[in-house]
Amino acid sequence: MMKSATKSDMIRVTCKINGKEYSGLAEPRTLFVHFIRDELNLTGTHIGCDTGHCGACTIFMNGKSVKSCMVLAIQAQGADITTVEGLADGDKLHPIQEAFWENHGLQCGYCTPGMLISGLFLLQRNPDPTEDEIRRGIEGNLCRCTGYVNIVKSIKAAAKKMQSEGGKSARSM
Amino acid sequence: MTPKKFDYYSPTSINEAIQLLHDNEDSKVLAGGQSLLALMKLRLAAPSALVDISKLQEMSYVREDKDYLGIGALTIHDIIEHNQTIKKKFTLLTDAASKIGDQQIRNVGTIGGSSCHADPAADLPTALSAVNAHFVIRSGKGQRIVPATEFFVDLFQTAVGHDEVLSEIRLPYLPPRSGSGYIKHSRREGDFAIVGTGVVLTMGDGNVCKDIRIALGAVSATPLRAKSAEEYLKGKTLDDKNIADAAEIANEGADPPSDMHGSKEYRMEMIKVFTRRTVKLAMSRVM
Amino acid sequence: MATVMELVKESEVQWVGQPLKRKEDPRLITGLGKFVDDVKLPGLAFASILRSPYASAKIKRVDVSRAEKAPGVICTLTGSDVSKLTDPFLQISSAPANKVKDYCLAVDKVHFVGEPVAAVVAETRAEAEDAMELIEVDYEPEEHVLDARKALEKDAPLVHEQVGSNLVFHGKWDYGDIEDAIRKADRVVNAKLHFHRFSSTPIENNGVVVNYDRATGFLNIYCNNQMPMFCIPWLSFGLKFPSNKIRMITGDIGGGFGTKIISYPYIALICLLSMKAKRPVKWTEDRREHMFANHGNERSFDVEVPVKKDGTILGFKVSAFDDCGAYTRYEPAGATIWAQVSPGVYHFPNLKVDFFQVMTNKAPVGPNRGYSRMQHLWMIERTVDIIAKELGLDPADVRLKNYVRSDEMPYVTPSGGIYDGGDYSESLRKAMKLIDYDGLREEQARARKSGKLIGIGIATAVDSGTNNFGQVKIITDDNPFSGNSEAARVSIDGLGQFQVGLGTVPQGQGHETFAAQIVADEFGINPDQITVLSGFDSAINPYSHQSGSYASRSAVMGTGALLGATKKLKEKVAMIAAHLMKTLPENISFSEGNVVDKQTGKKMPIWQIANVAWVNNVLLPEGMEPGLVALNFWRPNFTLPDEKWRLNQTLTYSYQTHIAAIELDPESGKFKILRYVIVDDCGTQINPMIVEGQVHGAAAHGIGAAMFEEFNYDENGQLNSNTFIDYLVPSAVEIPHLITGHLEIPSLFAPKGIRGVGEGGGTPLGAISNAVEDALAPFGLQITDSHQNPQHIHKLIREKISKLNQVR
Repeated sequence: MMKSATKSDMIRVTCKINGKEYSGLAEPRTLFVHFIRDELNLTGTHIGCDTGHCGACTIFMNGKSVKSCMVLAIQAQGADITTVEGLADGDKLHPIQEAFWENHGLQCGYCTPGMLISGLFLLQRNPDPTEDEIRRGIEGNLCRCTGYVNIVKSIKAAAKKMQSEGGKSARSM
Repeated sequence: MTPKKFDYYSPTSINEAIQLLHDNEDSKVLAGGQSLLALMKLRLAAPSALVDISKLQEMSYVREDKDYLGIGALTIHDIIEHNQTIKKKFTLLTDAASKIGDQQIRNVGTIGGSSCHADPAADLPTALSAVNAHFVIRSGKGQRIVPATEFFVDLFQTAVGHDEVLSEIRLPYLPPRSGSGYIKHSRREGDFAIVGTGVVLTMGDGNVCKDIRIALGAVSATPLRAKSAEEYLKGKTLDDKNIADAAEIANEGADPPSDMHGSKEYRMEMIKVFTRRTVKLAMSRVM
Repeated sequence: MATVMELVKESEVQWVGQPLKRKEDPRLITGLGKFVDDVKLPGLAFASILRSPYASAKIKRVDVSRAEKAPGVICTLTGSDVSKLTDPFLQISSAPANKVKDYCLAVDKVHFVGEPVAAVVAETRAEAEDAMELIEVDYEPEEHVLDARKALEKDAPLVHEQVGSNLVFHGKWDYGDIEDAIRKADRVVNAKLHFHRFSSTPIENNGVVVNYDRATGFLNIYCNNQMPMFCIPWLSFGLKFPSNKIRMITGDIGGGFGTKIISYPYIALICLLSMKAKRPVKWTEDRREHMFANHGNERSFDVEVPVKKDGTILGFKVSAFDDCGAYTRYEPAGATIWAQVSPGVYHFPNLKVDFFQVMTNKAPVGPNRGYSRMQHLWMIERTVDIIAKELGLDPADVRLKNYVRSDEMPYVTPSGGIYDGGDYSESLRKAMKLIDYDGLREEQARARKSGKLIGIGIATAVDSGTNNFGQVKIITDDNPFSGNSEAARVSIDGLGQFQVGLGTVPQGQGHETFAAQIVADEFGINPDQITVLSGFDSAINPYSHQSGSYASRSAVMGTGALLGATKKLKEKVAMIAAHLMKTLPENISFSEGNVVDKQTGKKMPIWQIANVAWVNNVLLPEGMEPGLVALNFWRPNFTLPDEKWRLNQTLTYSYQTHIAAIELDPESGKFKILRYVIVDDCGTQINPMIVEGQVHGAAAHGIGAAMFEEFNYDENGQLNSNTFIDYLVPSAVEIPHLITGHLEIPSLFAPKGIRGVGEGGGTPLGAISNAVEDALAPFGLQITDSHQNPQHIHKLIREKISKLNQVR
């Protein structure tokens, strides 16, 4: 059935985030990134540019890496979402998080949540990417601290870790 | 940055979408939203209602018809980039889709959205013009099919009426011995084009050009066909000299804008350079 | 039992120099970092700022009545309110430029596109933005000026009428005898150069949350200003608010690079809004707003360089025109800061710089990675290549001939800078080897034969760090700052746990990690055992009013302060230990969490001493105060400028050599980097992993600026590149792999031989413009701009070709 909402309606949006059901209120115009940060208090996802160019707000939505500032909250109704907060398995870091830590793949850490998601999206499709493929894979994520060298290195290292850990870390996001 | 308020509709069928557009005067279709939402956040666009068709999964497909390849309007760039049939038969579309924005944008942005947004500097409109794609437009009255030459009407304006929805894009199969290519000249790889050039050509005997279409992006209000250059090459041998001569006249009729990335004069020159290169790229792919 | 010798060995330096994984990372990779926009307070309201659409206009009327009635609106504020509530911000210019009236909202006139004009507070950010559109402003546009040289012309429109001129500062630095050198030179090389506007655009924009607590009278300010305690006088005098009730708090900061220093007008504005709304108020700058917040200095140069035939540089004679935009703020400090590195890396005695800093109707400038030095260093590096070309010499040879030699260290520059060690020639040789310079030259020659353009560009820059604020006395003696200072506190609590607080304000430089490494070595413990406070809170952290993270100072100043604090603390622990162990304090050493009596090898765990110091204090030596907290303030040994403005303007002088190899497409003017090499020397490296990261980051900023990033204005003073759509930040696709090499020649003056690192002196701008000119050598073209836009390169080539055709 068709769904609709008028300008000032507050709509209840329910979706699965990091394996857990979340629910909150949003106007039709509320962007998903504002919804998760302000309404659901998941502040790990960041905002950097407002026009869909920096990638700091990248999340997994139904298995795809997506800029959450370019999606309406209402569009995420029923969606399956993974944010940076959902990468680790309890206290156990995801191999890509470990790799960023070990290879100094972050400085200020502001772009990092989006960078991790984009890195992971790439590795899920292409478990053994070349340097060029990694660079293209994170083209939509801008970083002003690292010059990308150690981010590329981290993603390479994550690929190795994930391959050696086999299916264990190939959780779908 | 927050968009202005709008009503939101999420129709469950294309017919419902058409009805909603009909009923809401100042409404806009929301497909992938990668251009529209940015404009709305900057408050450069403020439709009073959005008709969100992004959930109409039946509009996302690539199908091989007898005479053409049909692509559902909601097919995302990422699928186009990786589709093997497209790569084999319409390589220029692979070229173009793979250079749009970045991975996240390609994961959401759609071919129909990009076509209807009709930014002359975008990649797909130029590539689709070179293919001479046909656009299937649905309305309450039924459907009509519009060729690329008539689809792109003006800056950010297409043949799709207010209460119509673009449903499919059809790429007529190319004859044997055809090849295609798209090159974007831009500052960064994912940027909008300073000049985008799409070429589809068919060879006759030897190296003779049997047919060719050259489309130019970012040099006019709509994707521009370089007709003079096309006519010049038809029936001629595709050698370096003829290609260079054709490229020299490829900018006839172009009226590019000037901005910090490319002045009008620069774009006029780049049309020549990249027409030449793209014709050669397309030639190298003739099968 | 361990022998005395073994015990001493265990205490030897071990953590400094290790590529220790950072302590801050676990929270940042799991989404638990706390950035200013993550701050949430009960009753939080949201601000939005209306900005000027004109480069220069009188404000005739501001009507907020419709906005105030809009849904969710709590209050509004206009320039006229601000002029009643506040005083103009302090100016550090000399007269008459100090007559600039800078308020947090424009009062009678707007001076640049993007200048804040009014503000709204509402229940939600969206409502504030909606209401902002209902504010009516009548403007009367006036003439504007966008070019520094034109702004100095007699009839130029005035940016600030009451100043009577657009000139902020005119200074003459004159050392040796440049005119004599010009007379004696074999040749005088001339160049007219332009350094473009850009900024480091951190991914996190500015942000402020203010909670004016009416109960305590405190202004609690959460922000991401990178020099918060330096803001205090600006806030206190501007707001007419007692400084002892202003609390500044920063958390994790998403990059700063200097651009987050001059955010105090915004902080002041949000303070006023919180007071007026009687609510905590948050303002998060959006990206478009950020593009008006802080630009880097634009500067043009007329250069004359007397040289000998063999490439010896006899001196530099320069006129510099610095465009600081519509407000001076941190300027005119920038008008003196370039002189930290006045001769670059070169040994020449004659230097004359006529420096004009000028206001225009563009966004204000302020510190930005490589602040003020990179413009000057680029001018020098660009000129050195022009010299090489004119003399038919290899640019590497000209550099080797003119570098300050390692045996001249410490080297005193004409303007009094004291270079604290290093080997510039070795740095270049190492870089040449890494990039295979000779091989590249051969490749270039081969490529040229087939019509391919390969270019090689070298630049070496001094990367000065830890500034001496005494340099602002050059502007006016009235400026009440000099030297530099930092604070550190090291404590051991009653359970023996270590805690460290610093006054520095990290934005990704890993201060928690480096501080732990320094303190761990002093006490012979593991850095994991040390908690370093994250972020900065003036109610919790120690600070000096020069605290902050800027001018590549934190590692050096932090280490200085930490070593002072640990010394005090160790002395006290040793006194207690000696008392308990019945030995002398000088016999006490520290190892693995224990104190050790060097004479007997007897150990006692530090926690036992801590227990005595705090809660078992009857056991303390008689008269000793309880507790184990050491607070230290540290300052380097700096002087004021002499009558010729000579002074050591910074404590450390790191340096870097960059070599870029590019391939340029002559048909489009576009080029790509084939190989990129960097050799840096920042002396002793506390954490080589962090150092390398800083080197990479600085290089990427310079490459981005050279190739993609530009604040481009149209003739109406509209900023064309006002979002990331047109302001092109390079991605991983554009930035090449960076090949690095290091020298580690310790600083002669700084604690532990550490030098500041991270700004990189804008070296890539030199390397890339030199590479582009080198690629274009077959056309004989000169590159005069720091920004290499393909369409401009294309135009140069076209013009040259058509000229050649005319000659034929």
